[in-house]
Amino acid sequence: MKKKIDLKVNGEKCLVEVDPHMTLLEVIRDELGLTGAKLGCGGGECGACTVIFNGMSVKACLFLALDAAEGEVWTIEGLAKEGNLHPLQQAFVEHGAIQCGFCTPGMIMASKALLDENSHLAEQQLKNGLVGNLCRCTGYTNIFQAILSVTNIDEKL
Amino acid sequence: MDQKEYTIVGKRIPRIDSVPKVTGTAKYLRDLIFQGMLHGKILRSPHPHAKIVRVDASKAERMPGVRGVVTGIDTQGIRLCMFRHLANKPPLAEDRVRFIGDEIAAVAADSEKIAERALELIEVEYEELPAIFEPTDAIKPGVIRIHEKGNIAAHRSWMYGDTQKAFGESDQIFEDRFELQGANHCCLEPYGCVAHYDQSGGLTVWMPTQMLHPLRQILADIFGIPLSRMRVIKPYTGGGFGARFDVNPIEIIAVFLSKKTGRPVRIVNTRDEEFRTGRFRYPMTIDIKTGVQNDGTILAREVKVLTDAGAYNGMGVTITSGIGAKSTYLWSVPNVKFEADVVFTNKVYGGGFRGYGNPQITFAIESQMDIIAEKLGMDMMDLCLKNVNYSGQLTCMGHKVTSCGLKECIEKTAETIGWKQKRRKKGNRGLGMGSLMHTGGGVRNLYGECNLSDVFIKMNNDGTVDLLSGIAEIGQGSDTVLAQIAAEELGIQIEDVNVIIGDTSITPQCLGAWGSRVVFIAGNATKLAAEEIKLKLFQEASTIFETHMDDFIAKNRKIYVKGNSEKAISISELAVIFYNKGKILAGRGCYDDPTHYSPDPLTGYGAVPNYGFGTQAVELEVDMETGQVKLLNFVATHDVGKAINPMMVEGQIDGGVVQGLGYALSESLFWEGGVLKNCNFLDYRIFSSADVPPIKSLIVESIDLDGPYGAKGVGEAPAIPTAAAVANAVYDAIGIRIKSLPITPQKILKALKESN
Repeated sequence: MKKKIDLKVNGEKCLVEVDPHMTLLEVIRDELGLTGAKLGCGGGECGACTVIFNGMSVKACLFLALDAAEGEVWTIEGLAKEGNLHPLQQAFVEHGAIQCGFCTPGMIMASKALLDENSHLAEQQLKNGLVGNLCRCTGYTNIFQAILSVTNIDEKL
Repeated sequence: MDQKEYTIVGKRIPRIDSVPKVTGTAKYLRDLIFQGMLHGKILRSPHPHAKIVRVDASKAERMPGVRGVVTGIDTQGIRLCMFRHLANKPPLAEDRVRFIGDEIAAVAADSEKIAERALELIEVEYEELPAIFEPTDAIKPGVIRIHEKGNIAAHRSWMYGDTQKAFGESDQIFEDRFELQGANHCCLEPYGCVAHYDQSGGLTVWMPTQMLHPLRQILADIFGIPLSRMRVIKPYTGGGFGARFDVNPIEIIAVFLSKKTGRPVRIVNTRDEEFRTGRFRYPMTIDIKTGVQNDGTILAREVKVLTDAGAYNGMGVTITSGIGAKSTYLWSVPNVKFEADVVFTNKVYGGGFRGYGNPQITFAIESQMDIIAEKLGMDMMDLCLKNVNYSGQLTCMGHKVTSCGLKECIEKTAETIGWKQKRRKKGNRGLGMGSLMHTGGGVRNLYGECNLSDVFIKMNNDGTVDLLSGIAEIGQGSDTVLAQIAAEELGIQIEDVNVIIGDTSITPQCLGAWGSRVVFIAGNATKLAAEEIKLKLFQEASTIFETHMDDFIAKNRKIYVKGNSEKAISISELAVIFYNKGKILAGRGCYDDPTHYSPDPLTGYGAVPNYGFGTQAVELEVDMETGQVKLLNFVATHDVGKAINPMMVEGQIDGGVVQGLGYALSESLFWEGGVLKNCNFLDYRIFSSADVPPIKSLIVESIDLDGPYGAKGVGEAPAIPTAAAVANAVYDAIGIRIKSLPITPQKILKALKESN
């Protein structure tokens, strides 16, 4: 039995029809066509589906769509403004923190959530905070350097 | 070290596909939309070994929303393997299933959920057979045959020189056994395929593959389609590491479903299927016997390998044969004997995984070097330097080592990690080292007789270029490297190069991304193609300025005479001149591995055009109460000939090291009664962000004369010696030698208990 829900995605109001078993990931990707968030494992273990919901980083593959009703979702597509990359995205580019790119949208959203909570993130806090986002290509080293390069700056990220 | 300064080569520029990837606009397989696409699901065997008595898919066929069902009757007679003479895997089982997960039937339906439910309606009657899970059991007399020809997929036995005689001349002989576990690639993107068999008999498949053109040939052969109607398209790809270097049942099944339904069909593995049924690094037992003189000179090496091939021929035979060749590489051993058995078991079959057998044999060789050094009263570093490989040497197979920076790698790594200061100290901290020697340019005869890549470049009227190549970008960023080479050669900027890859109908031949070959082979092809255009530009400029062609250089988007800025013309102006004269500005570079050795008569292995080298060292601490290993510091130095893009080379080193650390400490596929027990990321532990130590990735440039700007490949090397470095560090820390991977806390505690 489909149900209509209101939610805000990347600052825009959306009205979507969802089945009760649908996940937020399915809504974002299949109903709204935002394919940045990825299906990597379907079990909340790899973090490729990470988006920000009501200010918190969540695994969209385990998040029921109905629970997102009236909420606010930010995905990777919402970061760049008018063709200008967000400082986090720019940092990933400049520090070689991207290889295959599959983990990248989730990794960036997870990092943004950490920085939104604490813009003066220390290295160990960052390493622990990203435990839910697996990367098989980069060995994480350049990812850390990219994110740490935008900590401790005054500009609201 | 290379002193020459280039404009774009050697620079740490961001990769050219950064923006699509970082904005989430890069489309991977599951992101693509196809009109009328159906969703496919595969029915898999619940038994490790059984006869198929009856398959009845009629109920599934009648289920609303199901558009087509295929079984082994549809795919009858087809056998899969990259190496045709070894092919024994049917895409869908015919009379037997041989591992839990073996493909039996498949359904295409309007949604994944309908397809899943339809699988439950397919009735299969089995007659269970005794199953074999250990290679040692598979070779016992009287056991059931997994395949008609028996349970031994291949036997290898050869010798270079005379190891018996050399052992007779040795002062000390060492014999050790090492056990290597199965390890999964864990690409973040699960494998899959969209197949569209269109009404006019043309076939297109979209896949995250490492080998577009070889796959095109294989599919064309299987389905009897002319190559001009057979198209392989590779979208952005979420990892490879060898997992996508094969022909798998999924794509064949998807094609059959598309043929039956007349619509595009998509099948993508779940993560569970990735673990349970996907390719992975082969488990092996390696016995290694080495004879040395008291001064450390290595005289002979005998290697015996027992490979658990799983249920069908994937890459087990070629990888094991390749280990034979690799047994002759490191430390300049003049006498080498190799013996191996590749044995079937009723488990899923493996494939190539970053190093293609070298991680396994290097673990054995480098662990034993540490053992030998201690017994001889030598520092391992000195033992390595005593036998170090060098430029110009011939291996005992008669293959030449072109460039070699191994000595520098050893010394640089040792200095950076503080080898002399921190090794052999009291307490529970230790240092360990491991080196590697591996191809940096693919290998001839692995697939077909050549090792080639073909690149087309066409220059547009504004001086920008389109570069077409059959390579596969799977995260390593080789499209960026080709763009840098083209830009350098033509004297244009990186943003002037548009790299077109990923479509066999558009791009020229390339054997694909494997064997660390792309930078060397496709890079050289790119350089040749760019040179052809450059010479045409020089020719035209020489006419305009009445100056000899040799006096011109291409730089900063201009062609000009060295030292004379008046005799200059922009490349875009020249391009327009060509256009107005009705002449084409295009270049083609076809490059093949320059070695001329046929497959070696003894090993069956082809030659490699160059070798990459490296040395890694780790500092760690062992907790005596828990057995846990805490990684403190890691240093990796790799000889890449010339780093076209140092930032990307470091990225390969970082990533390979972390994969190597997982292989060393936490990753292991665990079967019980043929059932794989760890099929998700919680139970199969790859390194997370919290597990990585500080890693220093260093580059040595030995400038290979055959490489583009001196470059060699480095894609696989960083994952090869890591486990040995860790095992050696554990020994240095607590005097415990672990000879099986992974080095778990349980193994350490057990060994500590036994030593007390």
